[in-house]
Amino acid sequence: MKAKKVLAMMMTMAMACGMLTGCGSSGDTGTALAPEQQESATAGDAGEASSEGGEGGKITICTWNDPNPNEELNMYLQCEKATGVDLEVTVIPESDYSSKLNQMVATKDDSIDVFIIWESDIANFVQAGGIVPLDDRLSGSSIDTGDFIDAVAELSDGLGGTYGLPWCAATEILFYNQDMFDAAGIDYPTNDWAYADFLAAAEKLTQKDGDTTSVYGCTLPNVQTWWAGVGGAGDQIYDPSTGQLVIGSGAEAFVGDCADMVSKGIMPEPSSDTADLFASGKAAMAWAGSWNIGTYGDSLGFNWDIATIPTNKEKYNTLHTGFYTINANSKNQEDAWKVIEYLMSEEGQTINSKASGNMSALKKIADQGAWKVEAATTIDNWEAMTDSLSAGIFGYTCLPAGVTGNAVSNFESAAMGQMTPAEAVKASSDYAAETIGY
Amino acid sequence: MAKTKKDGVAHINRKKDTLTAYAFISPWIIGFVCFTLFPIFFMLRVSLTNRKLNGASEFIGLKNYVNMFKSEAFWNSIRVTLFFTVIMVVVTTIWAVIMALLLNQRQRLNGIFQFCYFLPSVIPSVALAYAFRTIFGKEAGLFNALLSVFAGKSVAINWLYDHSTVYMVVFFITLFTYNTGQMMMIFRSGLSDVPRELYEACDLDGASAARKFFNVTIPMISPLVLFNAVNGCVSALNGSFALLYPLTGESGNPDGMTQVLSLLIYKEAFSNMKVGYSCALSVVLFIFAAVFGAVLFGLSQKLVYYEN
Repeated sequence: MKAKKVLAMMMTMAMACGMLTGCGSSGDTGTALAPEQQESATAGDAGEASSEGGEGGKITICTWNDPNPNEELNMYLQCEKATGVDLEVTVIPESDYSSKLNQMVATKDDSIDVFIIWESDIANFVQAGGIVPLDDRLSGSSIDTGDFIDAVAELSDGLGGTYGLPWCAATEILFYNQDMFDAAGIDYPTNDWAYADFLAAAEKLTQKDGDTTSVYGCTLPNVQTWWAGVGGAGDQIYDPSTGQLVIGSGAEAFVGDCADMVSKGIMPEPSSDTADLFASGKAAMAWAGSWNIGTYGDSLGFNWDIATIPTNKEKYNTLHTGFYTINANSKNQEDAWKVIEYLMSEEGQTINSKASGNMSALKKIADQGAWKVEAATTIDNWEAMTDSLSAGIFGYTCLPAGVTGNAVSNFESAAMGQMTPAEAVKASSDYAAETIGY
Repeated sequence: MAKTKKDGVAHINRKKDTLTAYAFISPWIIGFVCFTLFPIFFMLRVSLTNRKLNGASEFIGLKNYVNMFKSEAFWNSIRVTLFFTVIMVVVTTIWAVIMALLLNQRQRLNGIFQFCYFLPSVIPSVALAYAFRTIFGKEAGLFNALLSVFAGKSVAINWLYDHSTVYMVVFFITLFTYNTGQMMMIFRSGLSDVPRELYEACDLDGASAARKFFNVTIPMISPLVLFNAVNGCVSALNGSFALLYPLTGESGNPDGMTQVLSLLIYKEAFSNMKVGYSCALSVVLFIFAAVFGAVLFGLSQKLVYYEN
């Protein structure tokens, strides 16, 4: 009987200890995330050697991209060397990135010092007091905020101060298979290409094998480029004053065009396929993010180049970035600022451009052209990048992901003929109206 | 006086035994209170606020519920959840019974068959769903490639995006989930416990195989059918997320046809950051599970046969 009591007591104590451990506050190196949901690495893990520690403290930065495996292109490792701050990189999968950061802000987690946050989150984080204003620090810094591309400056104006600095500026472009254009006898796309030229070329480039299409003229827009088409067709998409989704006749027209191309076999149907039809030579053109340049590099088995997304009613492009921000609960904000200052410096931005193929949001640094991926040897039209960026605005990326995801799902249903474009636009707008402003 | 002292000692012993018993069950009680009861009450409380994922929160009374009942997305997910749960339970239970009956036949290599049939069940649902998503792709899917070989021409069926095929594929995939495998094992053990004499008596009476199945086998394993149906319901209501999210996305493609309530809860909480609203949805899911359970137990009074 006594043994039973001792056993019962031990089990209860073990349970209590386990719970206390689970609920305990995070220490300097702990985080609120489950181990399987994140990977932590010191900046030096990717390279051969890490910093010797130096005179600075320890800072943790979170991102959705793994650090570049090449030591020279690992901006975090170079940051450690330059600042003497011990920098740990926490990689959170992109699919969970925004929600994890929101949870950290909600729980006042201090395990991350520097957040790289997305456009859709920055206003919410400011509102929740999760990040600190950088204006005072910027006033004594070498970072020239007046040199940022216009869209970034406008976003900061809307927040009532500067809370984040853009880590890069990416955009959307047209990728095309030069070999297929040559075979079809069509002139290569230019940055002045009209939308009508695109539609005509897509039809000509489509190759059929009986009833089925063997090569599509163009891939279906992806979750990003649906919005380039909708914006180009004249819709505002995002209204900064209300935070609402604003789509209408432009979306109906563009979705209708896509549905028409899908029905003719010029574009593929939406499907669960994960294969990149452009990269595999099954589509002559694709609208996709500029970051794909680095991914394709010299790995495609054909000649390819880029151009600006064809201009429909207006030249429209969505700007993509993330913002370096300091966690309001960070205990080491001075060192966090040192890290941000380096990453925004000419050296930091140049390394980032070389590693990712993304341009700097600082115009003077972007003009130096470090973003021209060396491995992409077939690209001649690098002006497509600067041209696209000049038309870039913060659009759908400022809306909640659930709202834009729902709209894309509706657009895809319309592309398959399961609903009309007008029904898709209405369903998307209704859902956005009930979701935004909650 | 002596009697009173004896009573007192007995009372103390009883009290000690009671305390010991409580000490033994306290780990479970603590776990239940902390990880089940508290979250339920917390969910109820948060459902009355406009809490966002970043922690901002204000009390808004029943507004989430009012908005929910006005939302077309909510009513669509209710319809889908109801349909998905009922069909999934029926399909997986019938399949599990069939597999258990086959495995119950006395034949060589039965253990190997059982291992092979159960093997897909131990694969995590997410990995299973991703594998099937690739298999049922339109352009590069393995299944279409196989059909093309047999048909002698290119077959490109859009299995997961076509209204007419999506449910068929999703319910087919549920046959390989852990829940179905578990059901099969439970039925298998139940079938081996059905007394042989009953079948022998049927044989003497000249009963057909179907008659034996419906009049002997099913009544004898009916408690297991109830158990599996309740488990299947809860699994369909809560566990379907792990299968459907990687398979058809958080919007429940195509056209919201697979957007069960658990998917909508995830979408509202983690994509739209509406934690308060998603808690209100979770309350509905909680009620749904309770009602399903109550209905099944109600039916069991009439349909389940207990030997004792």
